[in-house]
Amino acid sequence: MLSLELKTIDKSFGAFRALKQVDLQVEKGEFIVMVGPSGCGKSTLLKTIAGLETPDSGEIIINGKDVTHAEPGDRGIAMVFQSYALYPHMSVAENMGFGLKMAKRPKAEIDAAVKRAAGILRLEDQLEKLPRQLSGGQRQRVAIGRAITRSPEVFLFDEPLSNLDAALRTQMRVELSTLHSRLDATMIYVTHDQIEAMTMASRIVVLNSGIIEQVGSPKQLYRNPDNYFVAGFLGAPRMNFFEAKVVGMRPGIAEIEVPAVGRIDIALNADAAPESGMTVAVGVRPESLRLAEGEEGFAAKIHLVEYLGRETIAYADASPLRCIGSETGTGNLTVHLPYVAELAAESTVRLTFDPNDIYLFGGKDRRTWSSAK
Amino acid sequence: MFPRPIPHTARGMRAIYMAMVIVILLIWLAPLFAIIMTSIRTSDDISMGNLWGWPTGFGLVENYVNVFTKTPMARYFVNSVVITIPSVIGVLILSTLAGYVLSRHKFRFSMLIFAIFIGGNFLPAQIMMIPVRDLMVQVGLYDTAWSLIIFHTAFQTGFATLFMRNFIAALPNELFEAAKAEGATSSQILMNVVVPLVRPALAALAILLFTFIWNDYFWAVVLTISDTVKPVTAGLANLRGEYVAAWNTISAATMIVAIPPVAMFFLMQRHFVAGLTMGAVKG
Amino acid sequence: MSLIWRRHRTWVVPTLFIAPSIILFGVVIVASSLQSVWISFHDWDGFGPMQWIGLGNYEELLGDPQFYVSLKNNLIWLIIFMLAPPLGLAIALLVNQQIRGMRIVKSLFFVPLVLASVAVGIVFTWVYTPQFGLLALAFSAFGQKAPALLSDEHLVTFAIVIAAIWPQIAFCMVLYLAGINSLSEDLIGAGRVDGARGWNMLYHVVLPQLTQVTFIAIAITAIGALRSFDMISVMTQGGPFGSSQVLAYQMYEQSIFSYRFGYGAAIATILFIIMLVFILWYLSRIIRAEEWSN
Repeated sequence: MLSLELKTIDKSFGAFRALKQVDLQVEKGEFIVMVGPSGCGKSTLLKTIAGLETPDSGEIIINGKDVTHAEPGDRGIAMVFQSYALYPHMSVAENMGFGLKMAKRPKAEIDAAVKRAAGILRLEDQLEKLPRQLSGGQRQRVAIGRAITRSPEVFLFDEPLSNLDAALRTQMRVELSTLHSRLDATMIYVTHDQIEAMTMASRIVVLNSGIIEQVGSPKQLYRNPDNYFVAGFLGAPRMNFFEAKVVGMRPGIAEIEVPAVGRIDIALNADAAPESGMTVAVGVRPESLRLAEGEEGFAAKIHLVEYLGRETIAYADASPLRCIGSETGTGNLTVHLPYVAELAAESTVRLTFDPNDIYLFGGKDRRTWSSAK
Repeated sequence: MFPRPIPHTARGMRAIYMAMVIVILLIWLAPLFAIIMTSIRTSDDISMGNLWGWPTGFGLVENYVNVFTKTPMARYFVNSVVITIPSVIGVLILSTLAGYVLSRHKFRFSMLIFAIFIGGNFLPAQIMMIPVRDLMVQVGLYDTAWSLIIFHTAFQTGFATLFMRNFIAALPNELFEAAKAEGATSSQILMNVVVPLVRPALAALAILLFTFIWNDYFWAVVLTISDTVKPVTAGLANLRGEYVAAWNTISAATMIVAIPPVAMFFLMQRHFVAGLTMGAVKG
Repeated sequence: MSLIWRRHRTWVVPTLFIAPSIILFGVVIVASSLQSVWISFHDWDGFGPMQWIGLGNYEELLGDPQFYVSLKNNLIWLIIFMLAPPLGLAIALLVNQQIRGMRIVKSLFFVPLVLASVAVGIVFTWVYTPQFGLLALAFSAFGQKAPALLSDEHLVTFAIVIAAIWPQIAFCMVLYLAGINSLSEDLIGAGRVDGARGWNMLYHVVLPQLTQVTFIAIAITAIGALRSFDMISVMTQGGPFGSSQVLAYQMYEQSIFSYRFGYGAAIATILFIIMLVFILWYLSRIIRAEEWSN
């Protein structure tokens, strides 16, 4: 049975339509990460699943039961808030046991559940403390503990790591993943950080302006993004996009002209529909670019070099090849080299890439017409 | 939101809820309605004992005019204005100056002064009554508007200083640091940074002070005797003694006393409520 | 000269700014209060010389039955006034809905707070007037005759307290409305996810967040109850036969009507000491909060 099913969820705030006909199916034990830019609706969707917001239309089914109009406490969910939302006047033990207390469970049962959760989260020594006496990381674990004791069908996490510093965040990422496999629980996790998404998810849901752009495993989304948005969202540094023109068509193959690079033949996906003369977007990931040997490839002037210990990121101007939608200065290509490269700013190099590493996007929705092989 | 908001879609529920709230409101304000209704009863109705039945005449104009012509109420009203307005202005000025110093200058006794201002505000009036009255007599200001102006300015400065202090303390530090970096003196910072920004606080405070001072009864009774000096509160109490059975006139007089603060309140509700909560919740 | 000015100017001007407030407040309020205590150790009719009698006034007070009546009434005031915070909270919860017209309703609930105390006193005297008042009207609807509350020695204090608590409830309502509107949405969300509803939500999640507001409401209500003067002065002048007397009014009566300023000062001092307990409690909490936030 599906752990969670969302059917055509629609939610508006006044004139603003936050969620547009969202459908989703989650199997038991999955770790679903919902990512998207600010305002895409991911938090709203999470709150709707929790019951803190009511959808204008659509259904929410948890473990086979329609909970669309049920109280949050009756849905079999537990939520970890971004701000942890620990009850400030209750001890750690009381915080974690509150849900069971509201469900009128016997004291022995509550104590046992709290102890078990405290053991899993290494909070045994903090049980009598108040939230204000704890560190950020400890508070977060109490928030998780509060969710665990309720033994919910679905765990909901609302950007739980965003208030932690970088080192703690990395540690907690590992802990949460470990927790997931230990409890074998269904978890729905919202974040804007795509690294968290890529590392933790069994499946990622990419949201954009209230609609789901794509759902799939991290590998699927990274290798085979359905459209321009998903391709540009996952992967850091971001994929390079530039404009090209379709100059010739053969069955299953489009011949495109890329400025500064030349003509390339691209094998098309089944549903691709380019036409000769059309402008399309070409995508090449920064790690697909490499320094060229001799006269192959195309010329690029290095604008800025960033050394990252064991790899290098360079921003290069390869006019007339110009990147679109680039954050790194208009038109600059981003190159990601997996070694320490001795590159000087203002120097000119030659760059190249394997045509098999090209993505093609076109049409009204900028769907992917060709993926890297 | 707490309690849980009734959804916009549940129109029936919202209507019933509102109706219930209005019923409770009517019961809550019933004593006031009673006075308002009585203030428009004609004297004939009163003498006939017809207080709540269908009125035989409309006495609104007659009663309110009587209050102004047959009683010293007009004079009392003027006295109230003469006492209240200067006091409010005085307090606003003194409290802004003092509040500025307390909030931005840390010195050894600032906590103590802070505590005295708060504590002093809660003192029972009676503990000051005799010496203050005595002081006014000796200075020759007993039974004059000045005695009340001086007292109210002194007393309300306590509460008002704290109010302004809290407000100024909440202003962004960067403004003050930038001004100091440019070499501004204390008074320059006050005039150019603080005063323009504290206008909303001054507005809220002005309304609160107006209400407190206009409505004061105890000190009006203690420090004034003559009708030429008495404000409306003490005057109204006197009137009750004289016109014991003329409830329509007394009601009208009561309304006249009550209306200025109520009117100010309705005109500036947001400021009033903000003022009360700022003043009480923050200290 | 200008060198001296420059060296000291950081503190001269602020001192000048704060001096008038401190002087005024100090002289008129603080010094007067201390002076009253001084006067309480004397016998004085307000005109002639003051006669030192040490604790004489206090000894007389301890044997004065009217003093005990006043104390008893002050206690009744204090206890019944403690209904103001919960009732204020109840009304705040009632009106905290976003329904059209609710803003005007909220303002109307506040009105008793803005009325002059003398006006409230007269309003309720009218309500309690035998035969003609609102109370009589309500009783006659049930075919009963209303008791003459203000003339009844046993009920008069309660009648006055009800009049005085009317604006006090409105005050607590204002405080609680502000408090309720600054609650953490996330905490309420967490409560809902944990299954807390209605009373449980109020008791376990909402009220703990309102502790600071409740504290202020109780402190100010208690101080208001003990200080009460206006209502008694307007409604009964302490009668009938001193049965509605409170310390504040007794002090006034003794001083102004009986010309016993020393005795009055002693009563005021006792009142002051009782109130000092609450004032110091309030101050300690506020100062602790101040230092904690610094």
